[in-house]
Amino acid sequence: MILVIAEQQNGVLNRASIEAVVAAQQAGGTIKVAVAGAHAAAAAATLAEAAVAEVIVLQAAALDTYTLDGYVAGLAHVIAAEKPEHVFLPHTYQTRDFAPALAVKLGMALVTDCIATRGQGSAFVAVRPMFQGKLCADVAPVGAALITFQIGAVRADALARGAAAAPVREAAISVDAGTIRQKPEAPFREAKAAVDLTQAERIVSVGRGIKDQEKIELARQLAAALGAELGASRPICDAGWLPMDRQVGSSGQTVAPKLYLALGISGAIQHLVGMKGARTIVAINKDAEAPIFEVADYGIVADLFEVVPAMLKELQP
Amino acid sequence: MSPAETWIFRIVVAAFGAAFAAQIATRLRLFLRATNNIRFPDHESGIRLLRLVREVVFQSRTIGERPLVGLAHLGVFWGFCAFAVFTSVEFLQGLGIADVTGTAWFGAYRLILVPFSLAVLAGILVLIVRRVFVRPAELGKTVSLESVLIGGFIIALMVTFLLDFWLTGGVAARVNWWVHALVILGFMVVIPGSKHFHLVISPLTVYLRSSTLATVPNLDFEREQVGLETLKDVERKQVLDAFTCVECGRCQVNCPAHATGKLLNPKTLILQTEDALLAGKFDAPLAGLFDPGVLWQCTTCGACENQCPVGVEHLPLIIGARRGLVSNGAAPDAFAALYNQLERRGNLWGLASDQRQRFVQSAGVETFDASRHEYLMWLGCSGSYEAEFQKSLRSLFSILRRQGVTFGVLAKERCTGDIAKRTGNEYLFQELAQANIADFQAAGVTKILTSCPHCLRTIGVDYREFGYQVDVVHSAVLVAQLTRGLSVPVSSQVTFHDPCYLGRYAGHVEEPRELLQRFGGDIMEPERSGNNPFCCGAGGGLLFEEVEDGKRISQERLEQLQATGAGTVVTACPFCSIMLKGAQDSAAHASVEFVDLMTFVEGRLKTIT
Repeated sequence: MILVIAEQQNGVLNRASIEAVVAAQQAGGTIKVAVAGAHAAAAAATLAEAAVAEVIVLQAAALDTYTLDGYVAGLAHVIAAEKPEHVFLPHTYQTRDFAPALAVKLGMALVTDCIATRGQGSAFVAVRPMFQGKLCADVAPVGAALITFQIGAVRADALARGAAAAPVREAAISVDAGTIRQKPEAPFREAKAAVDLTQAERIVSVGRGIKDQEKIELARQLAAALGAELGASRPICDAGWLPMDRQVGSSGQTVAPKLYLALGISGAIQHLVGMKGARTIVAINKDAEAPIFEVADYGIVADLFEVVPAMLKELQP
Repeated sequence: MSPAETWIFRIVVAAFGAAFAAQIATRLRLFLRATNNIRFPDHESGIRLLRLVREVVFQSRTIGERPLVGLAHLGVFWGFCAFAVFTSVEFLQGLGIADVTGTAWFGAYRLILVPFSLAVLAGILVLIVRRVFVRPAELGKTVSLESVLIGGFIIALMVTFLLDFWLTGGVAARVNWWVHALVILGFMVVIPGSKHFHLVISPLTVYLRSSTLATVPNLDFEREQVGLETLKDVERKQVLDAFTCVECGRCQVNCPAHATGKLLNPKTLILQTEDALLAGKFDAPLAGLFDPGVLWQCTTCGACENQCPVGVEHLPLIIGARRGLVSNGAAPDAFAALYNQLERRGNLWGLASDQRQRFVQSAGVETFDASRHEYLMWLGCSGSYEAEFQKSLRSLFSILRRQGVTFGVLAKERCTGDIAKRTGNEYLFQELAQANIADFQAAGVTKILTSCPHCLRTIGVDYREFGYQVDVVHSAVLVAQLTRGLSVPVSSQVTFHDPCYLGRYAGHVEEPRELLQRFGGDIMEPERSGNNPFCCGAGGGLLFEEVEDGKRISQERLEQLQATGAGTVVTACPFCSIMLKGAQDSAAHASVEFVDLMTFVEGRLKTIT
């Protein structure tokens, strides 16, 4: 049996938790999911829709707000009771905080930041990138292990749903609040840029090649058609054509969308370092020598004022 | 002089002397309680003495930046020196200790002093007119009453000295004598608390100034040094600097941040330190003493320190305070990502080393082998990853091959640590530096060639502190040597942007110009060039700065370069090139062409068969 530890906030699961459930489904065998914290019941209802054997809601007032000591105590309890073969967790900040302490407390191995697992029983291995992703190691844990999954390594939309809702069980556990050394304060959100390009899945970015402030409208239309955010290189923001929070680059936001469409961006190094993490880079530029083509997956050496209208036409429903 | 008069004079001198001594004692105590960072004597003593003669006796820096004001100051300064013996003799007589006023040599000496007194009067009149009527901005918004008072004192001293030739005895002569003596005593009491304290201590400050611009010694982590966190961490030379500052504003006038409307003013930094020292705010966080954010507006161009006539060193204070902030996790957000990239990938851009390898292979450069290669070619972060600068390096490689110079590159490189050092991340700097030095030593490197002035400085100067000495040369200097005797006809008007780390830091002003002239460039000099260039805005980590207050420094510099009328701007530093091209991209009217010095040379070298 694989036990998945899901993470939720105000009853909403994060995508990484769903990904951990998918990883467990792909590993095969019986799956149980444990979830804790205030409003865990709402998250449990969502989890019960997945093809899993059981959802366990940890009930303890001391777990309402996340603390390292509280979670280690509570999760150690449920793991000791369920005796899973392995425990799967999303590699979130919260997991990074408590998982090492939990592993030490239970004497279990901890394999972090994995991208997949293979085999079962004694043949089980967790696949873990090394040397900045240049190599992948097959890690065969001795005994039961805590295994954390890199965010985005498994597709959340591959989740297998159950024919009927899985049973939800409330497990009352006792966590002595007096043993918790951390005193969390009320959560707060740091003032964020009005536009958060870092979370965008697609970005259409404009550079000096757009020539005119009015022409930015063309890029805006393309962004709308693609469901993308609008970004820009520094000269555009310096000129005041777009606000500073649209700037991509070393002196702006560092982005990693699935698609980055660079319109008339020459690719000065400060810009490249801000978007090199994009999965697919498409560059349109008149100058075949432009450095942007060094990093582009698809390069179009052409006038963007010819290419973009053609793209818009194709994208029209 | 009657016995009663002598006694009155003795009491007056004792009272004024006590007032003077009390002020000196306060400052001496503040100096002594600070950490001692002064090594005296040291291996530079000879250089320092020569500098003392040049800059104090002959006032080379004072005159260099502002000839008329400097000469006026020279007149006052030499006059004061000439009067030293006269004043001593007068006081010895007044105190009833010894009287040599009647001797023949004293009579002759008095006559010799006449032209000096006229020089002082002329000088002080120029300075008063400038301060009261011309009122340059760097001297502050209001006319300093203290300065006017001091000017009045000096005039009074000279006038009473000259009057004495007419007054032969009698009450008038005594009154004149007393006025002269009281003005001297009053002057003495005003000195320690005013900018005129430089009269007393600037020779020491000038002597103690490091002979290398922007010397910021390594932190010793074994001794748990973390930089300047609070005022009490400020070291002795910096305390001396604070009391020496003469408020002339040369640093302010030459500061690119100040010139583009930012809050940073190097003069204000020093004066705020002085105020805080006198107020005894030893536990105040250093950054809190200054205007908000100013510590991160410095490009470390070094203009302030390099122009200071009294030996004040601004960069140890600025970088020291940055270290204190970085040690406490208070670096600006933009640097957090930068440090992460340097730690994980060993380069400024956070790019993977295979990209560097691709460039090295396509440029056909071999891995350095000490038995076959004369020079280790150091690419640096820009040479390894920045496409535009790589074009310039390809030109350099072609020149070297043509001239038969052998060179190779290291299999792997990491950043020299320039930006880590200048932004105050000393731990990261030392890690990078030590790893690079180990690589150099393992490869048996004896000569390093680089096209990046920042790498030049860091390897050539900053690495010495680790006990590592190596010959490191900038491409402009080596290629100037290699192409001596060649020449092509004049073909274009160019302007040259001196990189701060090449012109001001390393003093390589002539070599780039030799190359430009040799290869057909008709040089149009911009304002602020040579050894006092106007910064491009990239230094000190500001290449990675998010938003810039006021006008962008790069924009200002681009306009200065455009104003020469030359269509081509030649650069010799990857950072300058990135900044100025960026400024041009953001400008409404883009009109100049940029070319790196090496590409300029290679293009014209090809025409010689």
